[in-house]
Amino acid sequence: MKTLPFVIFLIAAIAQWAAPLSQIWSREQTLSKGTLIQVKCVAPDPYDPLRGRYLAVRPEQDDVTVADGMELVYGQSVYAKLTTDENGLATVSSISATPPASGDFIKVIAAYQSKGKSSFEWPFNRYYINEKLAPEADKWFAENIRNSKGIVAEVRVLDGRAVLEDLSVDGKRLHEILKERVK
Amino acid sequence: MRTSHQRWLLEQIPQWERDGLVTADSSVALQERYAIDDSQPGLAQMVMGALGALLIGSGLIAVIGYNWDDFSRPIRLLFAFLPLLGTQIFSFWVLRRGESLVAWVRETAGLLQALATGACIALVSQIYHIGGEWPDFLFCWMLLSLPLTWVLRSHAVAIFYLIAIAVWSISTQSAEYGKLWYDSPMLYPLLLLGLLPFWPSWPCKAPLSIFMRWVMTISAIFGLFSAAFFACVKELGYGGAWWICAVSAAIIALFPLNPSGIAEPTERKPQVLLGALWLLGYGIAITFRSVGDDLFKGISHTSNTPWCLGLLAVLAALGFMAIKHWRWGVLAIASIALLPLVAFPFAQGDGAFYSTALSWLATLHLATTGLTMIVPEFLGRRGAPRLGATLLSVLTIARMADSHFSLLTKGIAFIAVGVTFLAFNVSSSRKGRHPQSSQS
Repeated sequence: MKTLPFVIFLIAAIAQWAAPLSQIWSREQTLSKGTLIQVKCVAPDPYDPLRGRYLAVRPEQDDVTVADGMELVYGQSVYAKLTTDENGLATVSSISATPPASGDFIKVIAAYQSKGKSSFEWPFNRYYINEKLAPEADKWFAENIRNSKGIVAEVRVLDGRAVLEDLSVDGKRLHEILKERVK
Repeated sequence: MRTSHQRWLLEQIPQWERDGLVTADSSVALQERYAIDDSQPGLAQMVMGALGALLIGSGLIAVIGYNWDDFSRPIRLLFAFLPLLGTQIFSFWVLRRGESLVAWVRETAGLLQALATGACIALVSQIYHIGGEWPDFLFCWMLLSLPLTWVLRSHAVAIFYLIAIAVWSISTQSAEYGKLWYDSPMLYPLLLLGLLPFWPSWPCKAPLSIFMRWVMTISAIFGLFSAAFFACVKELGYGGAWWICAVSAAIIALFPLNPSGIAEPTERKPQVLLGALWLLGYGIAITFRSVGDDLFKGISHTSNTPWCLGLLAVLAALGFMAIKHWRWGVLAIASIALLPLVAFPFAQGDGAFYSTALSWLATLHLATTGLTMIVPEFLGRRGAPRLGATLLSVLTIARMADSHFSLLTKGIAFIAVGVTFLAFNVSSSRKGRHPQSSQS
């Protein structure tokens, strides 16, 4: 019996477990030990044929002032320092190539740079939702998008990683709201 | 020879032996020569096995898509990993049984495991609301599935992989997606390298099926062309990108083959067929001066990029191998890709390009190629007279369309070409029928 195919198979099988397990590990760490921040956002409702229905989470802030002389490449990974305002909502106050010495920060992807500002992509952009609840989420979104308090993404942050925990309006979590609405 | 033809032949040989058409020794020799390799799955078996696995896998993904948020996170994670574990155990069992199992079981095991892997990472993404676009997901999935093609020799997974790398390359070629080297279709050749055991010229026991060859060629065309568009300087138009596509097509056409591969008919070599067709079309296009202007603008900026230099180096190496194997026909067609480079020094003017040199060069090259395809037929050697005549006709039509002649002159020229083409076709048909009538 040839050994090499079994060795390759074993490595492949381990890799097939390791890839999702590493994602699980880093996200569980963030969820259990991370700081909770709230980001104001908008959320329309698309569909991913492979991963199901989700709300596309788009934080309101999509650009930040960059320091003089800082040149960013499209797609470059940078560190965004987070600041919380008086309403408890977090915004990105600055970006840097290295992790900030103090405070909460997340890794973001730099996009276009123009006139001293750079647009960036947040590390979370979708909130998966049950197929049965998705139509109700559509209606809820339409009703609340003009709400002065807006939709808030509750995100756990740890060592630059961010995990979207839930969406909420006026302190009430989306999941609970939807469950009540479909009853 | 196709398996269906082999089966027909094997059915006929005993009858021929009984009828005294072949001797017993010849019959045995023929049966041994055209024996069907059962280690390779038949198309029907492969399709049925793949379809079953696809249905199960798609069902699994659809069930996951429902998003069972009534269950706790650990339970949902169990849903993700149990099918993966089940399919891994099944694949391991198949691997242990080795050659004693019928081929379609191996195919089904490979595809099921690949789909369970995809379902698992999809469910984990869903549970933790992991962002990212679908090409990222596809990239991770296809890399995790690749080893299954090596160990299980699964054609279905190899086909999935070939389609996935092509789709991924196309999806990452737009500048908006990312400019990082690992986030670009320039990775395509490396990804294709992953299927080395399936490459046509790779020393393997069984020849690659025609279907696999077609999928591989089409995947390579999409992958390399995506890389060409990614590598070019888009602000200067797409002339440079189309030229890099032509160089890529020449590489595809010149892909090295072993002696038995070279001896096979062209219809069994899709890389030669599609590569040559693309290059001939490109050759006709660059006879137009307006195309040439755009092309030179692009070439002046893209010819010294690392991607382009790399492609030219590969083309030179493959050209050398083609010379070694006397593949003059393919080499002549592949050289069309280099015509813009040859004409480039003569085309530069005061801040502009003059494409007349390229137009004449391409016309001359294609006319020579067309004639070279026809002439051997009249010298009693094997040629491609109809393809040559078609090429000459299309070339004449293109040149006339681009000229400043009056409509009357163009019309008369078109009629003359049409009549010549039909006359040639009739003459070829008669010539083809002649040997049969003399034999009868």
